[in-house]
Amino acid sequence: MKKLLIALASATALLATSAAAQEKIKIGAAPYGLNAEFMQIWTAALQDHPAVKSGEVELTVFDGRYDALVQHDQFKTMITQKYNAIIFAPIDVDAGASAVQSAVDAGIPVIGSNTRVNSDQLTSYVGSDDTVSGYLEAKSVLDKIGCKGNVVIIEGPVGQSAQIQRLQGNKKALAECPDVKVLEDQTANWSRAEAQTLMENWLTAHPNQINGIIGQNDEMALGAIEAIKAAGFDVKSFAIAGIDGVTDALRAAKAGEMTSILQDARAQAQGALDLAIFNAKKGNYKPESDIWTTYKDMPWNDGKDKTYNVPWTPVTTENVDQLLSTRK
Amino acid sequence: MPNHSSTYQPDQGQRVRPAAEEQAVSVSDNKSAGGWFKTEQRRLIVQEYGIFLAFLLLVIILSFSNEFFLTGGNISNVLLQTSINGVLAIGMTFVILTRGIDLSVGSVVALAGIVSASFATTSETAGVIGSPYPVAIGLLVGVLVGVVCGSISGAIVSRFSVPAFVATLGMLSAARGMTLIYGGGRPVPALTPAFRWIGTGDVFGIPAPVIVLAVVFAVSWWILNRTRFGRYIYAVGGNPHAAKTSGINTDRIRFTVYVISGGLAGLAGILLSARTGSGLPQAGVAYELDAIAAVVIGGTSLSGGVGRVTGTLIGALIIGVMNNGLDLMGIQSYYQQVLKGALIVGAVMLDQKRNFGA
Repeated sequence: MKKLLIALASATALLATSAAAQEKIKIGAAPYGLNAEFMQIWTAALQDHPAVKSGEVELTVFDGRYDALVQHDQFKTMITQKYNAIIFAPIDVDAGASAVQSAVDAGIPVIGSNTRVNSDQLTSYVGSDDTVSGYLEAKSVLDKIGCKGNVVIIEGPVGQSAQIQRLQGNKKALAECPDVKVLEDQTANWSRAEAQTLMENWLTAHPNQINGIIGQNDEMALGAIEAIKAAGFDVKSFAIAGIDGVTDALRAAKAGEMTSILQDARAQAQGALDLAIFNAKKGNYKPESDIWTTYKDMPWNDGKDKTYNVPWTPVTTENVDQLLSTRK
Repeated sequence: MPNHSSTYQPDQGQRVRPAAEEQAVSVSDNKSAGGWFKTEQRRLIVQEYGIFLAFLLLVIILSFSNEFFLTGGNISNVLLQTSINGVLAIGMTFVILTRGIDLSVGSVVALAGIVSASFATTSETAGVIGSPYPVAIGLLVGVLVGVVCGSISGAIVSRFSVPAFVATLGMLSAARGMTLIYGGGRPVPALTPAFRWIGTGDVFGIPAPVIVLAVVFAVSWWILNRTRFGRYIYAVGGNPHAAKTSGINTDRIRFTVYVISGGLAGLAGILLSARTGSGLPQAGVAYELDAIAAVVIGGTSLSGGVGRVTGTLIGALIIGVMNNGLDLMGIQSYYQQVLKGALIVGAVMLDQKRNFGA
């Protein structure tokens, strides 16, 4: 009898705790991979969201390990465990679509963030338009060289959506300066070391001819800077730009060696989380992140928009110290 | 000297092809010994110089294709760009000579690179407490990280008889994971000028990493050609059973080659950090493949016992020269990959023909 009572008591206790847990909103975040700094900042921003800190939301991050299949399986897990909403940054534009479909079929809203997916089933998408960043960075290089001279472009892995769109933006800016010649145009696969080697070879192949360097991300621009330094040239006599606003690039920008276009991982993450909570609570929620007040150009619009475009922030000498202070 | 090489061959009683540097000496000494040496001699010339001739041919073609290829600055660039892969490939040669493989070197490069950088950074948040330390500490720590990784792989291979492919595949994953844990996935920036000198400095115009590669090469050549340990490596790779019955501690030899490969991967990681100016968590991905390619192009057999560190060096130079030359000509890197693939397979096909055909 006593045993039964204990069993009963513990069962009630169990029920009570699980009921309490159910009141919490369960949100799964599925970033494509956690190896690079950008996604580290993105994930940290999710954990730092007021609703997560207050315990209102239970957040689980699934590392996609740069594999579409891994992400697909993680969606299955989240569906089985009845998550209330999913934040999705897919590795692949096309392969992510079926994962989104399966979640939507199970009645789970999916919010896109950072990377795009070819699906009209996303409830909303919070990201930044890469054609804009490609245009802005190329423009900054072209402005600095006065719309004449020679430039090189260091591209991301050919075929990735960021590479395709940034190149579109690069070309749009270059079309405005018909006198500028593109001497070289190759991929360094987002890698600093690869870009360094490439730039060393280009400096040899085009002695004293390169005026501007358009790196499609900061890492590659930083590699080019190292190559220029190693070859004994003055970095400041080149116009160099990258994209993303990683910490090393902010430092280089502060030193006047390059410009960077900051992609706001924090806004992309927290914006997506606000939308996820909003949809999980069926509209009974006011956004808690401060990003909505920071970016006047991106209004909340009652959570109804399909696409939220987080504006790019060119890193300048005025804002670089403030940006650096947000990095630990 | 010739006596030296002809005495140890029968000792091991197996198909051990000692380093050809010595063979060339012994052959020229025995020129008059009869008809057998004529074909053998021809075979050795192709084997010894074939790869070198291929290298020269490549250099000649490239220097006619691009006016900047044969300039002093570019030669220095090629050597600089070859140094990291060269150091890795020499370590890989030791392992492959014993019939092993080390797939972990790329990840070990990243781990050693970021750990050594954390001892050499002036950044308050990215470094270990007390950083920056003197260069020697950073160097020591980097090599030590590599040695520890190599020791683990080596122990697993030699004591637990796990296939090298599996053991080092495990290390490839584990070391990459540890790199990300250690640095929190972020680069370690702002390295001291003294540490960076290892990657960017020069002595009389010769880049420091090239000097490192030269020293590594010289020491490795000496170990493989002039020491008992070197002969044992060939013996273990040529015929492990015979080596064991003749009293060689084969486990210890197999353990040690992974320690060497790991230590050199650690050194390569230091070079990479010093060269790029940051400890990069993403560094070294797929470097093991370029290292293996250099070894194979250089004529070392994946079935062990046969090969030379000189060939490996030239193999690494061929890859470096090809990448550089094609960059200079503005040819897309995709073609470079196709050419490298063709070169690897071509080199081994030639090797097969030398050994079993013709």
